[in-house]
Amino acid sequence: MMSQSSTLDQPSATRDNRITQFLRSYYIYFVLVAVVVLLSMANLDKFDLFERGNFLNHRNIINVLRVSAPLLTLAGAFTLLMVSGYIDLSVGSTMGLSAVVYAMLAINGVPFLAAFALTMVVGAGLGAINGLLVVRLKITPVIATLITLSLFKGVALLLVQDGVSAIKSGGGLKIPSWFNSYGREGTLLGLPMAFWVAVVVTLVLVIAQNRTLLGKYAAATGGNPTAAKLSGINTGKIVMLLYVIVGVSAALAGIARSSFMSLGDPLSGDGMELSAILVVLIGGTAFSGGEGRVLRSFIGALIIMALTVGMLTIIPAYYQTLVLGAALLAAAASNHLISRKETAL
Amino acid sequence: MTGQQQSPALSVEGLTKDYPGVRAVDDVSFAIESSTVHCLVGENGAGKSTLVKMLTGALQPTTGSMTVRGSSYEPSNTKDARAGGIATLFQELHVVDELTVLENLTLGMEQSRFGFLVKSDLDERVVQTLAAIEPSIDPSARVASLSVAQKQIIEIARAASSGANVIIMDEPTAALSEREVERLFGVIRRLRETDVTVIYISHKLDEIFRLGDAVTVLRDGKHIATKPLSEVAGRSELIEMMIGRSVFQDYTPRTTVTDDAVLIAKGLTNTLLKDVSFDINRGEIVGFYGLVGAGKTEIARALFGADTVSGSILFKGQEVGRSPKEAIAAGIALVPEERRTQGLFTSLTIRENIPVMNLQRLSNRGVFRSSVELEAAVEYVGKLNIATNSIDKYAEKLSGGNQQKVVLAKCLFADADLLLLDEPTRGVDVGAKAEIYDIIRSVADEGNSVAVFSSELEEVLGICDRIFLLFDGSLEAEVINGADVDAAYILNVVTGGREGVLQ
Repeated sequence: MMSQSSTLDQPSATRDNRITQFLRSYYIYFVLVAVVVLLSMANLDKFDLFERGNFLNHRNIINVLRVSAPLLTLAGAFTLLMVSGYIDLSVGSTMGLSAVVYAMLAINGVPFLAAFALTMVVGAGLGAINGLLVVRLKITPVIATLITLSLFKGVALLLVQDGVSAIKSGGGLKIPSWFNSYGREGTLLGLPMAFWVAVVVTLVLVIAQNRTLLGKYAAATGGNPTAAKLSGINTGKIVMLLYVIVGVSAALAGIARSSFMSLGDPLSGDGMELSAILVVLIGGTAFSGGEGRVLRSFIGALIIMALTVGMLTIIPAYYQTLVLGAALLAAAASNHLISRKETAL
Repeated sequence: MTGQQQSPALSVEGLTKDYPGVRAVDDVSFAIESSTVHCLVGENGAGKSTLVKMLTGALQPTTGSMTVRGSSYEPSNTKDARAGGIATLFQELHVVDELTVLENLTLGMEQSRFGFLVKSDLDERVVQTLAAIEPSIDPSARVASLSVAQKQIIEIARAASSGANVIIMDEPTAALSEREVERLFGVIRRLRETDVTVIYISHKLDEIFRLGDAVTVLRDGKHIATKPLSEVAGRSELIEMMIGRSVFQDYTPRTTVTDDAVLIAKGLTNTLLKDVSFDINRGEIVGFYGLVGAGKTEIARALFGADTVSGSILFKGQEVGRSPKEAIAAGIALVPEERRTQGLFTSLTIRENIPVMNLQRLSNRGVFRSSVELEAAVEYVGKLNIATNSIDKYAEKLSGGNQQKVVLAKCLFADADLLLLDEPTRGVDVGAKAEIYDIIRSVADEGNSVAVFSSELEEVLGICDRIFLLFDGSLEAEVINGADVDAAYILNVVTGGREGVLQ
């Protein structure tokens, strides 16, 4: 590999272009710092959820990271899929269905590792269904995954008994005690397993993006599908694989959330597709594909979660959705401005 | 050249391609020596692109055979062609903007272990190939930051480093500036030194003399000659071989042409056009003739207000050229080059397509009058002889010629006084072509003006009263059509022979 830094030295890159490149690569970190600083300055004294005083407080940070686990788990895979020019709107339903399956397994006495592995297999299967619809039946990704959004959620709702809203202890069955600890109790640095799984998943996907054929071919597929095909790349296979990876990640996210909530809620992933899109856009991934970084989406997820949790304490609940929508608008607009600047050269 | 003892890089023997009713390539045989730049010339419709498609496996010959380096070569798709060592430089670029130059060069050829990219000599090899043909491109640069010309060189380097012995380039300079052309020629010459054979297709005869080792001339699908360029006595001999016969001409002077200038364009200039001025008279059919990239489409779009240009355009004494809406209101209609994507609503029916440029005519204070639409559809389907069993047929189901007639009907319904027709008979069969010419004449006979933008000499000589010759964005000469018109002169001007003097 050539050294990365020499990109900046090439003669055709104008100064403007270099600034754009720099902003593109690093702005996300500045945003994260800015959000944390802003939240730290806010007066949290009135609220129970947080320790008095500073947002930059040990317990608050652990709190934010703990509830972020599902989104952090999903962000990387979702990024790779969008880099390849595709999208999965069914991730929330995949999460919900996985949460239900995981809770059912646990409540019926299946041990932790087995329940964990089986749920991941279910996630892979759901991802494969999306892949088949898109690659084999050639249904537009938005439509295909909108269909499965509905289908997967429907199945999850059917699995839960009449009269109850979620799988939980009761009727002689009991959610085992280990169920809750995965997503809630600190194992390392005070953070639960679910968070560390998200970190590992992200690391694996960062390596996949930078060091494997999958990462490069995903970028080629999203950047110029014709060129990719003419280079002998089986783009269908790449897309299929990415949908499966997204499915598995969504299953892991479902496990994390059900563990956090101690129940298998079919609706626990509702709205997740919007959060995932928001995170990926904030991370600078082009909606049109080809461009995007797993790590930046991870940081984007931290930003969103810090904002969400921070807002719980500062802004009245009614405004939160509006604020998130505004954040999405800002992300989309800045994304557009940056990419337009580049093509204008 | 070292190619004397070697078998030729590529040879074809009795190659023929039949289409229903047309023999596009007719018993063509010639050989291309190794490590040469071999030029392929011929007028539009001479069979060049069909021949190239057979070489690249996109089409299969009806009869005849092809041989690559002494062994038989029968590609059934582009993959086979690449395996056979034949690569094509497509006119549209197939690079991934988001990847680096190096990543593009190795795309699809990477070495990997368990899916992980591993370093290999491939990286080094492609970097060397690139450095050999164009050292100024940084392999770690993002392709998005490169110019079109540089991207083109990336594709050439890709073909060369993937082991192609023959690279076919179809009009590679169409989108390049003069300096970029010079650089591309440097690349091609260095390729030749690395034992790559280049098949170079261009209408620009200067380029052929500057670059080529040998030339093959095709005319009407037949092979006319293959000879070293050193044995070709200048442009005039090449042009003679390309035209051959006196051009078939059925032009008869029209009587309705007036001296009353209805449109006056002065000093049209943009990135391509260079100070283009002309006028079009009432009742006249004028032609704009030039090669691909000479500026025909740009002039048409400028007159219609679809692109901004500097200069002035007066139509019936009124300034136009700022927006298509204004042009339509003033009475100008454009039939664009890409009729399927720009001229026609393919998912609408004939009846729905015809009134779209003048929907006000269908409206009675905002209420849609389907009776007018119906009458118009019936009228124009009859008048223009559109072959269809129903006016409710979807436009996409029509043949090319009938689609074009629907587009014409659209303009006629809009009561245009000036019709701008960009390549009006491209992809249209012979019968429909004649009918479209009749429509054009009758429109002009009624006192309207028509401008035909065409890259077919026969077309402009067949119907136009006056022909403007374009080369490289400037209007080089004006020719009054008639029995004494000199086709060789016209071809010389549009292929870059300035001052129009034949050597």
